[in-house]
Amino acid sequence: MRRVMWILLSNPLSVIGLLLVGTVIFSAVFADFIAPFPSHRGAVVDFSNFNQPPHWPNIFGTDLVGRDLFSRILFAYRISLMLGVVVLAIAVPIGVTVGLAAGYLGGWVEFALMRLTDVFLSIPPLVLAMSVMGLLEPTLTNGMLAVTTMWWPWYARLVYNITRSESQEGYVLAAEIIGASRLHIMFREILPNCVPSIVTKMTLDLGFVILIASSLSFLGLGVQAPTPDLGSMVAEGGNYLPDSWWLTVFPSLAILIAVFGFNLLGDALRQILGGDT
Amino acid sequence: MNIFAKTIAAACVSASILALAAAAPAQAETVLRLDEVAVGELDPAKASDYADSILMFNVYDTLVLPAQGAPGLVPHLAKSWSADGNNHIFNLRDDVKFQSGNPMSADDVVFSLQRMQELGSGLSYLFANVESVEAVDEHTVMFVLKEPYAPFVSSMLRLPIVDKKLVMENLGAGDGEMGDWGQAYLSGNAAGTGAYKVSSHNPQQETVMAKNADYFLDIQDAAPDTVRLRYGLEPATVRTLIAQGEHDISSQWLPPEVLKALSKDGAQLLTESGGGGFYVKMNTTKAPLDDMECRLALSNAFDYGSAIKMIAVTDDVSQGSPATGAIPVGMLGANPSTDDLARDMDAAKRHLEACRYNPDDFNIEISWIAEVPLEERFALLMQANFNELGIKSEIKKMPWALFAEQVSKPENTPHISQLFVNAVTGDPDTLLYGMYDSKNAGTWQSPEYLNDADVDDLLEEGRVNTDVAAREKAYKALNARLMAIAPTIYGYDRQSVFAASDRVKVPALSDPSKAFGLDGMGFSFRLMEMQDKS
Amino acid sequence: MHLPHFLRVTRIIMSPVVQLLVKRLSISIIVLIGVSMLIFTIARIIPGDPARIALGPNATAEQVANLRDKLHLDEPIYIQYAKFVSDFAHGDLGISLYTNRPVTTDIAQFLPATLELVFVAGIFMIGFGIPLGILSARYRGRVADNIIRVVSLLGVSAPSFVWAVILMLLFAFFLPLFPIAGQISDTLPVPPRITGFLLIDSLLAGDFKVFASAAHHIVLPAFALALSGIGQAARLTRANMVETYDKPYIEMAQSYGFPEKRIANRYAFRPSLIPSLTIIGLDFAAMLGNAFLVEAVYAWPGLSRYGVQVILRKDLNAIVGTVLVISATFLVVNIIVDLLIAFINPRIRYAGRS
Repeated sequence: MRRVMWILLSNPLSVIGLLLVGTVIFSAVFADFIAPFPSHRGAVVDFSNFNQPPHWPNIFGTDLVGRDLFSRILFAYRISLMLGVVVLAIAVPIGVTVGLAAGYLGGWVEFALMRLTDVFLSIPPLVLAMSVMGLLEPTLTNGMLAVTTMWWPWYARLVYNITRSESQEGYVLAAEIIGASRLHIMFREILPNCVPSIVTKMTLDLGFVILIASSLSFLGLGVQAPTPDLGSMVAEGGNYLPDSWWLTVFPSLAILIAVFGFNLLGDALRQILGGDT
Repeated sequence: MNIFAKTIAAACVSASILALAAAAPAQAETVLRLDEVAVGELDPAKASDYADSILMFNVYDTLVLPAQGAPGLVPHLAKSWSADGNNHIFNLRDDVKFQSGNPMSADDVVFSLQRMQELGSGLSYLFANVESVEAVDEHTVMFVLKEPYAPFVSSMLRLPIVDKKLVMENLGAGDGEMGDWGQAYLSGNAAGTGAYKVSSHNPQQETVMAKNADYFLDIQDAAPDTVRLRYGLEPATVRTLIAQGEHDISSQWLPPEVLKALSKDGAQLLTESGGGGFYVKMNTTKAPLDDMECRLALSNAFDYGSAIKMIAVTDDVSQGSPATGAIPVGMLGANPSTDDLARDMDAAKRHLEACRYNPDDFNIEISWIAEVPLEERFALLMQANFNELGIKSEIKKMPWALFAEQVSKPENTPHISQLFVNAVTGDPDTLLYGMYDSKNAGTWQSPEYLNDADVDDLLEEGRVNTDVAAREKAYKALNARLMAIAPTIYGYDRQSVFAASDRVKVPALSDPSKAFGLDGMGFSFRLMEMQDKS
Repeated sequence: MHLPHFLRVTRIIMSPVVQLLVKRLSISIIVLIGVSMLIFTIARIIPGDPARIALGPNATAEQVANLRDKLHLDEPIYIQYAKFVSDFAHGDLGISLYTNRPVTTDIAQFLPATLELVFVAGIFMIGFGIPLGILSARYRGRVADNIIRVVSLLGVSAPSFVWAVILMLLFAFFLPLFPIAGQISDTLPVPPRITGFLLIDSLLAGDFKVFASAAHHIVLPAFALALSGIGQAARLTRANMVETYDKPYIEMAQSYGFPEKRIANRYAFRPSLIPSLTIIGLDFAAMLGNAFLVEAVYAWPGLSRYGVQVILRKDLNAIVGTVLVISATFLVVNIIVDLLIAFINPRIRYAGRS
């Protein structure tokens, strides 16, 4: 662990990644204290100060009902991160179990599970999430559900590939000879060897979940007002280009910064842990 | 990237110079370009929204037209009309030909009405009261009503006359001898007498129309030769196209900020007031809004002043003016424009105390129509206003189609729905009857589910009584009653604002003495004047 | 080898590439059936009555019942699915309730514009991504490498709608080099529709003015769509080449004093191409989905607006049709990529001979 930290800190790019991720997480957690106008996350309207370009104290300008854009972006990070964590917390266990079962048990189980995975993988992710989200009601919970349905297959693929090669290894054969149960072999013997890859992928994916969720809300399939949401902010602001550029530029940059941070960090982890995604 | 981009850009510049050089002497044709929201429905019996109305009023004609700059109706396809009890007789012009060359006769009017009733979509409900229609002779037609209906002649504004012979030649498959009543054909082709012919039609993208040289009235030379009506352009696109001189008239759905920016860049602003308003409708069957006092609390807490600020475009042009009641200023029965509604928090608190519910027990659902982004801002405004009263609320975005489905059951209808409603024929009956008569509850325009005997009586009186003074009295009383029981927050009197380039003059949308006072009629292309022949 | 003619023919037929093709095609069909069942089920278990929504606010209960009957909505789902499959076998995807036209007509109208966008983006992706990756690997560890790495990571780090908005602001609004929306300049006539691809149709019609306009219009949206793919391709090419650079035969070539450029292009790049191609296949799929976002920003007349509208309106036939067609396109592209790899990879190409 200490080794990991040391390597991370020795590479300037991963330091930047750490800093960005740290900032994003910090501002999401402590948004209530950092945001100059914490009440603007909700239903506040101020028609004496609406649609204004950046100025003090609204350093990112104000939106169409006079709320502080900077404060809203901080709170939007909170929602995005929460969504990312929940999606991964559901998708990873499902994907890992499917991958392990298919890779280790083989035969019909493998065929059925991997074709099912293929089905999900062969609908372009955004289209699948859109269908789920659009047909149900656009709420935060359904958003998580939609993104989860498209996320687990990637973990299934990843773990399946590792399991296939690992199950030929001596230690698995040894365990089989002693008569260890299949469950034991799958979860106690093979799974630990998948962990580095899974951790790396999760770091990268936290960024991508944010990205996909913002894409969904950009298409109008996101959380409801007044909850701040980066994708909807960009979509809404897009109607007011180029005159009210701040409405789109700052939320766009906010997405970019967050995802970039997770990618830098994930990249660094991949090099250190050697996880192959 | 750079080199590639430059090459392409250079290629395009040279190409467009070539184009200009080639085009300048040859074309003396004027093109008018405008946009509306998708879908453009070409079948006149299905026309309901603004885009459909623009198509309908240009490709088809109606028996009468609204008078310009004044109340009342003037002859169009009909030379004259008269009423005898429930019988309405129209004498038609004998010099009108359809675009197909077929002469227009009473048979076509009969066919158009039957088709409208049979298909039952669009605004066909206006004709539900017609018992029968018959061709008395070649150029006389008689409508027989089931019940007296005072503003019947004005509903003729919504009966476009269809070329019976052409449609019968193009019947599609369907049950019965009339097949599909020509639905398949008319959704892509025109069969009207109108001043413009359809050159091409794609309901998602664009309708191209060309001047009809054989129109029965004279069309001025300055009227555009070709009209391109495009659907579903983004506001930012329209904004730039107009600034670059590549677009002529925007839709009315541009947000006020975009209109503001355009007018700053020198675009002209056109306006049309179609006799309608912004209505915030409360579901009177759902607690706590089934208590009149709670509704009155909300309508007093609504910040009318901020609403007006939100829709202002420039100092003198706005997408609306303060409401004075349920009936827009200028319409029969309306209050004078000095009686602005205003926010009154003290009154709101008094009413809330009189309400039998405890506000803490409720979470008011405020819906907004996804296609109208402005409504999201009103939702936020209300949420903030109601918060001040201590009433919690949540905002819910609904696509139009879903909204129309949900309101068909009172329990699915949100507490609060925001709607723009207008009098489709200019008569208050077509504004109010659909919204407030208890028989019509649960349509897209009546999510209040209002059931009030007084309101029903007054609506009936306005429909049946043919005396104008008596009607005015009934509508005044109705207005007062609707204010007292507050099924609706009367947000503001709506006015459509369009941004336009200086290439086109539209007297019907810029000169009050030429205004029709009917939504969409201002877009009669034959009355527009193109400023240059390019 | 002097085999009799017929044996050589059989060998070609059953060559590994053909075997691969057969295998991939059969898997794809199974997958497509799965996709259709999945999307069909999702589309029918939703709340809200599609018939009611389609008919609009003024419809009577009788009309709704009629339409439900026509759509077989009241029958068990497996019967609905069976009906769908038998219609599908006749090339019929049903009528869209939103446009009142056959879904196949709608898709035929909107799909080419989307594919055109995605293809051009694909060309950008390969044309910019792979050279950047090669450069980066050649100068690995140096400033150029670091810049390319950061830039490609940035490319991957934003959804394509963010790039679409940023590019539009920079190159259409502030520096008006490119048009902001649409597929072709408004004043130009659309060439006769032959392939549906405007770039090709205009060339077929010999109308270079239209071609230039179409090319001008496609640059920004295609680039916005390609950016994350460019980043991905550059990163991957670099990673693979760096790995190859460490192989002994490269070191040998270097010690013999082979020109650096030749080593990069011939010995290090070729073996690195295969993994890059695999990713490009996957990215192509991502682009089919992301095209929805870019099309929304640039008002591109593709499947996007249609797709979003039909989803919002619960237009069952159209949703099922759109998703199926997109998935099928995706599968076809992946098969093509697999075949390409098979042709390039000597191990697969020669596996059958010996």
